[in-house]
Amino acid sequence: MRPTRLLATIATTAALAVALGTGLTACSSGPAEPANLITMTSDTCGGPWHAGPGWTTFQLRNGNDVGGEIDLTDPKTGGIYAEVADFGPQTTTPMRIDLGSGQYRFRCLFQDTDPMLGTVVTVAGNAAGTPAQLGTPFNDLVQPAKTYQSYIEASLKTLLTLVTPLSNDLQAGHLAAAKRDWLPAHLQYQRLGAAYDAFGDADDAIDGRADAIGTDSPDWTGFYRIEYGLWHGQPASELKPFGPKLKSDVAALLAGWPQQEIELIDLGLRTHEIIENALQFQLSGHDDYGSGTTLATTLANIDGDRELLKVLQPVIAPRYQGLPAVYEWESRLQADLLKERGPSGQWTPVAKLTTAERQQLDADCGELLQALDPIPTITEPRN
Amino acid sequence: MTDVHPSGGATPGTSQGAPDDEASAVAGMAPATPATDATDAPPAPQAPREPGAGRRSFLRGLVGGIAGGVVAGGAAGVAGGYAGRAGQPADPSVAASAAAANGTLPAVPFHGQYQAGILPVPQRHSIVASFDVTAASKAELTELFQTITDRARFLTAGGTPGLAGVSGPPSDSGILGPVVPPDGLTMTLGVGSPLFDDRFGLAALKPAHLGPMAPFPNDDLDPAQTGGDLVLQFSAGSPDTVAHALRDVARYTRGGMQVNWRMNGFNSPPRPAGTVSRNFLGFMDGVANPDVTSATEMNKLVWVQPGAKGEPAWTAGGSYFVVRLIRMLVEFWDRVDLLEQENMFGRRRDSGYLLDEMGISTPPDYSKDPTGEVIPLTAHIRVANPRTAATASSQILRRSYSYDRGIDDVGNLDVGLLFTCFQQDVTRQFAAVQTRLIDEPLVDYISPFGGGYFLALPGVTGSSDYFGRSLLT
Repeated sequence: MRPTRLLATIATTAALAVALGTGLTACSSGPAEPANLITMTSDTCGGPWHAGPGWTTFQLRNGNDVGGEIDLTDPKTGGIYAEVADFGPQTTTPMRIDLGSGQYRFRCLFQDTDPMLGTVVTVAGNAAGTPAQLGTPFNDLVQPAKTYQSYIEASLKTLLTLVTPLSNDLQAGHLAAAKRDWLPAHLQYQRLGAAYDAFGDADDAIDGRADAIGTDSPDWTGFYRIEYGLWHGQPASELKPFGPKLKSDVAALLAGWPQQEIELIDLGLRTHEIIENALQFQLSGHDDYGSGTTLATTLANIDGDRELLKVLQPVIAPRYQGLPAVYEWESRLQADLLKERGPSGQWTPVAKLTTAERQQLDADCGELLQALDPIPTITEPRN
Repeated sequence: MTDVHPSGGATPGTSQGAPDDEASAVAGMAPATPATDATDAPPAPQAPREPGAGRRSFLRGLVGGIAGGVVAGGAAGVAGGYAGRAGQPADPSVAASAAAANGTLPAVPFHGQYQAGILPVPQRHSIVASFDVTAASKAELTELFQTITDRARFLTAGGTPGLAGVSGPPSDSGILGPVVPPDGLTMTLGVGSPLFDDRFGLAALKPAHLGPMAPFPNDDLDPAQTGGDLVLQFSAGSPDTVAHALRDVARYTRGGMQVNWRMNGFNSPPRPAGTVSRNFLGFMDGVANPDVTSATEMNKLVWVQPGAKGEPAWTAGGSYFVVRLIRMLVEFWDRVDLLEQENMFGRRRDSGYLLDEMGISTPPDYSKDPTGEVIPLTAHIRVANPRTAATASSQILRRSYSYDRGIDDVGNLDVGLLFTCFQQDVTRQFAAVQTRLIDEPLVDYISPFGGGYFLALPGVTGSSDYFGRSLLT
């Protein structure tokens, strides 16, 4: 799990600062003060400073009694060059940056305090440096989150309609029919990728792997358990309970969904984590419990990713020049995956791919992930 | 002796030793040059013998004077002078031992007529990785080569990676710290014959002698570890430097190529100091090599000559690059008595000396030993390089590393040789040598299982040039 941007972490930093207080004091009040020392207080966000283009490390001192966040910004656009996210009270923190020619201004966001702005400083010349990034305000993510929430709810309803025949067929011992029901239902679930965290324990029950518990464990339930049994010749009597269990787990998830909340920070994170999971577990064949359909699952994951990118489009597009590359490589991956579906709808298992086919899929997916990797940072909600 | 290293600058291991072309001409075979600096010559591992006095000295008549000079000049009595072999100057890590130990070897200039990683004495660490190209068009292939060039230019020079700030993840993995040190890194890019299929319209430009590595009778090639569209060799002073470079290049080229197989290799410190690194059979590896400081010799043996035998013009400055992954069956080897081991190689294990005890740098004159009384007719060094006028043009520039990658399926040590060599014509050189070596006694103890034939591209000549430009435009 990634650390979220919570001020709670500041408390830890503050405690540490108290413990090390003597050392810090000695450091900052000694005969040689660090170069580029800039002090932020409860009523100033740093004074003027001077630096030429090139690599600089500012020593930011928090002379305030509370923690917060410091951004070095472009005063014209509000774009952020660099940040110190956890600025503990009475601490000194380095901020390293490759200064390009242009204007700079610190912005101080102390807890329970209105934002303060520092002096505008111009770095002369015509040099390129660390780029400024336009931050994403919390409010810009609220509507995408709502839209996505509705998408998930609608998708869960569809999922329930697809799980029902699977459950019925397993209960009736119609294993051939259950095999046919399984894939569409599983793919529908895999399209929900972005909501893994929000699903919590329900995800383990509905789509858990056997990795940690083994395929013999009575605690293993859900799609993969059913797949394993259906494609390993297990008798109807053994599989019978897993259908209704899956159906009731999905129904419970749907019923509780309106009370669930999607973390705003997760929206952008998931755009790349869905595909990371696809690469690690589907495109590798790891999650193939017998049906040989992990390439279809990868496509379903792309569908889910596309949905997230769609709702985030207004946030991402003005902030990320690489967005067209995301769409391009997602399309290339889709097209190369579709080549592995036979005329009667059967899928090539990953283990049966030729080396060249596997390399092409890995290349598409790898490049897609490289293109996606700035999105979590860019869409991180900021004050 | 007027030749300088073609790429100029401080290429590790080639800037000293100043061997003399004429000395090799006198010897009439592989270069034989005495140590030029007695201080480079460490104590010999055993008491020296007086030249001409040993019972097997009859091999020595032709060049005895040179060997005598070495002994006379070396206070420690380094018969044969390991450090002064032509084209094999003192171990670079001796010359720059502090820098090597600290991972602070200077940058090797990247730009030049030839790729900078071909001629230098092997470094301590190397990774050879084969890639298959997944780029969809010639334009994307060009873009791929430009990206590899950009990464190589940065990584070999070192410097501070750009900061992404708050616009994304860090642009560098950070495993070498905030400032990437050059650490003597070289990156050598080669192309394999599959690149010249119908994907990129390059079929007509295929180098004349480039083809798949056909198995020799004693080979056991694994297709998954053989061949490939491209090969990249990363060599540097430290294992993290080469690992960092591979990771960096892979990150910036995910859509354009995928790793096919790879092997990590290393060279041990020479033991005793001042000798030559040993392989996992306990023998010094690659003692005799052409003189890399002689442009004349390199033009005859290493650099492709366009026009000759149908080589396309774009290959000027290139060199055929052979990689062989050779497992060594060390458990078996350790059960073989020393004399038999030495007869298989033709050298002493401990000293690296020829079996006539005379030293290692003065070439043997096999015409004095026509029946193999001293050095068996089947000995590896004798078959590989019979040192006749007819076989002189088959000499290769041998650049080997050891590998150690754990155990095999039944618990035997999985160790061996990451053999690489460069040459003007793979058919005339490596393949001819390897053909002579078919069924040599050593084959029972080794098992070649992978590798490939490639053409190392011409060098990148300047900041607007890129790998493969002469091939792609």
